[in-house]
Amino acid sequence: MRGKWNLLIVGLFVLSLLVTGCAQQEQKPEATPTPEKKAPEEKPEKKVETMYFGAPISLTGKYSKEGQMSLWGMQVAAKWINDVYGGLKVGDKVYKVEIKYYDDQSNKEVVQSMIERLAVQDGVKFILAPYSSGLTLAAAPIAEKYGVLMNSHGGASDYIFEQGYYYVVQTLSPASKYQTGFLDMIKKVDPNAKRVAMIYKDTEFSRAVFNAAREYAEANGFEVVFDKTYPKDVQDLSPILNELKAANPDIIIGGGHFADGQLLTQQLAELKINVKAISILVAPALPKYYDALGTKAEGICAPAQWEVGVTYGPEAAKKLGMDYFGPTQDEFLVLFKEISGSDEKPSYHAAEGAAAVLSYAYAIEKAQSLDPEKVREAMNDIEFMTLYGVWKIDPETGKQIGHEMVIIQWQGGTKKIIWPEAAANADPYYPIPTWEEKDQGKLAKH
Amino acid sequence: MNIRAYKPLIPMIAVYGVLITIALTVDGMWQPVAYFMFYIALGQAFNIFLGLTGYVDFGYVAFMGLGAYGMGLAIKNFGHLGLIALPIGIFLAVIMSMLLSLAVGAVALRLRGAYFAIATIGVNEGFRYLVEGVRLWGGTEGMILSGFMRKTYGREMTNFFSTFLSDVLVILIAFSAAVVTIAILNKKMGYALLALREDEDAAKVMGINVTKYKIMAFITSAGFAGLIGATAWTLKLTYIFPEDVFNISYTVEAIVIVMLGGAGTLLGPMFGGLIYGIMKYYLSVIFPGIQLLILAPILIAIVVVFPEGLIGYIRKKARDTRLSEYLR
Repeated sequence: MRGKWNLLIVGLFVLSLLVTGCAQQEQKPEATPTPEKKAPEEKPEKKVETMYFGAPISLTGKYSKEGQMSLWGMQVAAKWINDVYGGLKVGDKVYKVEIKYYDDQSNKEVVQSMIERLAVQDGVKFILAPYSSGLTLAAAPIAEKYGVLMNSHGGASDYIFEQGYYYVVQTLSPASKYQTGFLDMIKKVDPNAKRVAMIYKDTEFSRAVFNAAREYAEANGFEVVFDKTYPKDVQDLSPILNELKAANPDIIIGGGHFADGQLLTQQLAELKINVKAISILVAPALPKYYDALGTKAEGICAPAQWEVGVTYGPEAAKKLGMDYFGPTQDEFLVLFKEISGSDEKPSYHAAEGAAAVLSYAYAIEKAQSLDPEKVREAMNDIEFMTLYGVWKIDPETGKQIGHEMVIIQWQGGTKKIIWPEAAANADPYYPIPTWEEKDQGKLAKH
Repeated sequence: MNIRAYKPLIPMIAVYGVLITIALTVDGMWQPVAYFMFYIALGQAFNIFLGLTGYVDFGYVAFMGLGAYGMGLAIKNFGHLGLIALPIGIFLAVIMSMLLSLAVGAVALRLRGAYFAIATIGVNEGFRYLVEGVRLWGGTEGMILSGFMRKTYGREMTNFFSTFLSDVLVILIAFSAAVVTIAILNKKMGYALLALREDEDAAKVMGINVTKYKIMAFITSAGFAGLIGATAWTLKLTYIFPEDVFNISYTVEAIVIVMLGGAGTLLGPMFGGLIYGIMKYYLSVIFPGIQLLILAPILIAIVVVFPEGLIGYIRKKARDTRLSEYLR
């Protein structure tokens, strides 16, 4: 009897492994195409060597989707550096960049051994941090022990940078900035909209986002009239939404992930809670949100780290008086297609990964050194733009302070970027149509 | 004390010796060995319950999570007293996980087979929701200790905790769990457990207090789980998220490790953990992204070929030879 039990359990486990494995396989028949290296035009006086950036990537496990995207982004950036830019010039040498990566399985135990392997056995000096804040934190002590630099492209939480790890720097916007851009926008478009309601999921990440949003709102003259969380697997939000309605807010910010963000929108519509603007985390940024909700999604905003269509480019950089480094968005999209071998559009994870590689490259050339300490020092003074936006860190903590979240809004069935002005490709539609108007088919289109 | 009964520890010490030597002499192998040791410790601790009683506890990770919180609370509240916080943390971890296991065991261990397994899943999930829902110990935001530890103990010392001390402690825990296993096997408790594992009703008829022995094994096993959580997680990672520490996949991994090596054997969990850890590590280095597709068939093959686990199989083959004294 017991033997059967054992077999059953192991069988189930193996099955689950297979399922995750297959899910992986589906997306990535050519998951790891080492980009063919066309030798850059040899300049006879310069020696070409290869430099490795190391990356523990979550190719399996719960962050596998994000991990794969960021890996493609990194490979695109490396390919651009090698083929278009002609390699990194440090002293009299030219370095080609290659991404050395292992699968960390989205697992905190594995990450640590991977970092050690990269730092010691592979001699990598520049590491692209693992995906997610937890894994980044797990990796930090090992990275510090070996004196290697770590650049976070998927760890948004602010606390990573409050622990005193000098060698950890951040490329993406921290959680504290997720909803502040939206508040800035409201302040600009309608200075009279003061009453803010916050309704968000009880997770570590959402709490970080909305704690910061509350502080920011209060400091900027908004009044937070409603502030409640809902549990992770919520099925019905109507009790809290009725309370929210009674608070009579001008704008609503909230959300957490996809399912709850969709539910939130759905029930706001059912209860006919009309406000002037709504910004929800994560869900509206995904195309399936509009597929599921149709015109109900009109006018809903979401913060995003990046979005295809942002207008960051050499011209925008010139306006701000800074360098532009890396592929333009069009080049990026072409290279991305080539490397990923699929028609899938790059998500913001890909742009983050690419920006992290580009920031290393830019800082290494500025420092004219491969010494992590010198590169870290050089990072203190650089401010430049990539397709992902501005890159500038706080010298002391390494936290990203240059990059701004973009705000997207569903306008007439398409996602438009409406903020910040440097990246926008449309004007905000404000105030958004009421639910009754949307029911009659009104779109949030100018 | 019968020294001969402890002979099977000799091959174990030899394997540990080799692992530690590799870790200390080969550059960049310390963390991988620490990773293998984590799985060995997990298997060894879980084996005390699953292996000896035949009961499958799907909520096992709850004890590890609780142990992690025990250490976290000690560092947070007693950190200002200096290094004494660590022994306090170890103590808290053991006490907290044992108390929970006593409470769970007293109720759930009266259930059998699948009913017991289902009840224990509930414990784990319930505990996680308790921590998150009532915002106990930081709720969903967990505990982030890195900065605090670095301020209290200094950067060097904290890195020493994370990258060396915690690993050494895990090795010690794994070894102590093995010693406890063999001690139990050699005692009346071991025979009682063996009897109840094979046929619980028959054991009862023979006058064995089955519930008592089951609870004893359960609590011992839970205590070790608490220790692993305190060292391999809190001390090493310097943060605790409820989602991470109450993650059921660790329970499943523990079950697989014990099955691979041989449930109820002494050396089984060590070989199971070692094989599982090595395969997971090297496959993800060599075939990043597709390693699970390779790992899964290997696991199936091992379980089909060796239904009693590797050590179970070798023991059968080596019966009545001198080797059998060293295998258990």
